[in-house]
Amino acid sequence: MSAAVEAPDMPGTPSDGVEKRQVTQVGWKAAGGLIVIAALFALLLVAAPRDGATKFALSRGSDALQIPLLEIPAMPLAWSCLVLMALIAAISVARTLANRTTSIWAIAAFGALFLVGFLAWAGAGSSGTLSIVSLLSGSLLGAVPLIYGSLSGVIGERSGVINIAIEGQMLAAAFTAAIAGSVTGSPFAGLFAAVLAGMLVALVLALFTVTHRVNQIIVGVVLNVLVLGLTSFFYTQVLVPNAATLNTAPRFGSWTIPLLSDIPVIGPVLFDQAPLIYLMYLVVAGVSFALYRTRWGLRLRAVGEHPKAADTVGVNVERTRYLALLIGGACAGLGGAFYTTVAIDKFGLNMTAGAGFIALAAMIFGKWDPVRAALAGLLFGFASNLQNVLSVVGSPVPSQFMLMVPYVVTLFAVAGLVGRSRPPAANGQPYVKG
Amino acid sequence: MKKAVALTALTGAAALVLSACGTAPEESGGNEATTDFLPCMVSDAGGFNDKSFNQLSFEGLQSAAAAIGAETKEVESNTESDYQGNVQSLVDEGCDAIVTVGFALSAATIESATANPDIDYILIDDPADGDGDGQADAENIKPLLYNTAEAAFLAGYLSAGYSETGKVGTFGGMEFPTVTIFMDGFRQGVDYYNEVKDADVEVVGWNGDTGSFTGGFEADATAKNTATNVIDQGVDVLLPVGGPIYQSAINAIEDSGKDIALIGVDADLYETDPSTQDIVLTSILKGMDVSTSEAVQQAADGKFDPTPYIGTLENDGVGLAPLHNFEDKVDPTLMAEVESLRESIIGGEVEVKSYLSE
Repeated sequence: MSAAVEAPDMPGTPSDGVEKRQVTQVGWKAAGGLIVIAALFALLLVAAPRDGATKFALSRGSDALQIPLLEIPAMPLAWSCLVLMALIAAISVARTLANRTTSIWAIAAFGALFLVGFLAWAGAGSSGTLSIVSLLSGSLLGAVPLIYGSLSGVIGERSGVINIAIEGQMLAAAFTAAIAGSVTGSPFAGLFAAVLAGMLVALVLALFTVTHRVNQIIVGVVLNVLVLGLTSFFYTQVLVPNAATLNTAPRFGSWTIPLLSDIPVIGPVLFDQAPLIYLMYLVVAGVSFALYRTRWGLRLRAVGEHPKAADTVGVNVERTRYLALLIGGACAGLGGAFYTTVAIDKFGLNMTAGAGFIALAAMIFGKWDPVRAALAGLLFGFASNLQNVLSVVGSPVPSQFMLMVPYVVTLFAVAGLVGRSRPPAANGQPYVKG
Repeated sequence: MKKAVALTALTGAAALVLSACGTAPEESGGNEATTDFLPCMVSDAGGFNDKSFNQLSFEGLQSAAAAIGAETKEVESNTESDYQGNVQSLVDEGCDAIVTVGFALSAATIESATANPDIDYILIDDPADGDGDGQADAENIKPLLYNTAEAAFLAGYLSAGYSETGKVGTFGGMEFPTVTIFMDGFRQGVDYYNEVKDADVEVVGWNGDTGSFTGGFEADATAKNTATNVIDQGVDVLLPVGGPIYQSAINAIEDSGKDIALIGVDADLYETDPSTQDIVLTSILKGMDVSTSEAVQQAADGKFDPTPYIGTLENDGVGLAPLHNFEDKVDPTLMAEVESLRESIIGGEVEVKSYLSE
């Protein structure tokens, strides 16, 4: 469009007197995306208007602070959201024309408005209430394995080893957690066993990829199939006949944190959960701190970007990668433990059902950064819980379509919205000394 | 390096072998076979231990085998891609009658039945009408169908009368007609209660067109999340439709800390899964054991009759399980009403709509 201006070299003027400016051009992706979404939403409202009001519940029956049920006429609310969305889109267009970027907050506000408008439309006239607390807390729970899994990916790939085996690590962990928990009667034992199982799969991955330098993607895929086969085999042959003794795991109840859990809306969502979820907050912060603020993190990232340089200054590349994969395996193990120590009390065939791959997508969407990957995981968790909440209040969208939504969001997120996402330079390359 | 590649290949091969385990037909049944008639069965992806659908059909096969003194062979399907191969492997084993359990095996059954006109096929839960002409596509398929809407109607009426919050909930596995027929009947039963009693009991999770579905028949975290969302609407009766997903529903009920009654489907959950005894209000029974057994015995006697069987309240093909532990929590007059409603449905005074009632 307009900008890419470079100060021309005037004849006769000394070039050192001219300030050379690099002007980058702002792309139309953000503004265009906002316009398209707003237009589609307008089309929906025009083509399928719905009568009645939508009931939003902001607190649960058991909460200390009760917020009355909000009953808002659906179409006026949806149209007001659309007007504000159009406004943000217009601002974004104006800013793009002036070659300025659209702020991330504007996009977030746009997303929130779209969501409120869409919820209002979908819940119109329903006798059910849209519970914001269950919408958010279900999203958080759905995101737990994705976040732990994406951390496993982040740590491994930052050290230069592609970790496709997250799915296998989580499945193995869920399986062992179910058995260990059932045998000992303690969910903590299940959690511990899950971490060990995740690390065991990671050890095999490390052995083949780091020591033997086999193609990392192939090893990862084979490990996934191997774990699926092993767990399915032992499930049908051992767990099913002995379901009462080996596959009836104790679960963590929710630990309510006093005061914090009384905060309206976010209190019950964030601070009335199982301990594994509190641990997740700590692990995300801890991994982020360790990667960027410690010597270990610096060395790990060096090994992932330029292993030869790291080796030259005395960093043991193989040991760093082994350690990274093992820590990643422990994270994935915690994610797998979610299935059988928090969610439900028994292991089932292939119960992770592809969460490991969605975790990989979250890692890429999060640009190999722990906090962003966790946010991406939350987005995916939200997408999958949204269909649940909408189908309960009787949204007019067919259930098959709604079940597809999380995967569409994943695809769009990874393909379209992510912008430039650069993997660590040495990602996927085995390091050969010398 | 070479060694590593070989090792990788070996683990890969081991993985494939292990995942394929369980697909080899297993023999079971009577120790001394007195007939060489060989009845066989293929499960759907739920497996024979699902405590409902497949398990009941399997019990039917076993009782038929015991009655005629035959051995049986059965194959468990792990994924949907197994169906065709599993049916074929039973053909190769020389089975004389093959029972295919479930709507999802319809296409594989039709294909195999067309190719093997000498074998009798018994297809559970689907009319085997791939071309849509109103008849089974092959003359050697006997469809076993169950108008569970009639029994679910009774359960809906009972739940509406039992509910104190005025809200009852349901959710399904996948949106198959064999699943939604339960939800439809349940909803009609609640509506009928509202009409008769001038009450205002709501059904959460199925509005007649769309509703809550987990997208599968596994007792997993997704199913629990679906159940939690239904429970959050304030229901105190929950009907999960689809094999083992009731197990996730139980976990969701535990976490909610509320007093919620569960309704089972297919088999009497109180009997098949004793851990549920304290929360099972009743179960919507689908008499697959009896009808499968009868169909297999007919085939063994050479009297195979491809006319579709339709289970109804009248022929006891579907029904409502006893209340067991809830006996004293349910008003006896409500139970008397349910009983007379049953008579009215059989007599045709009360009409239950479903895709099988036309």
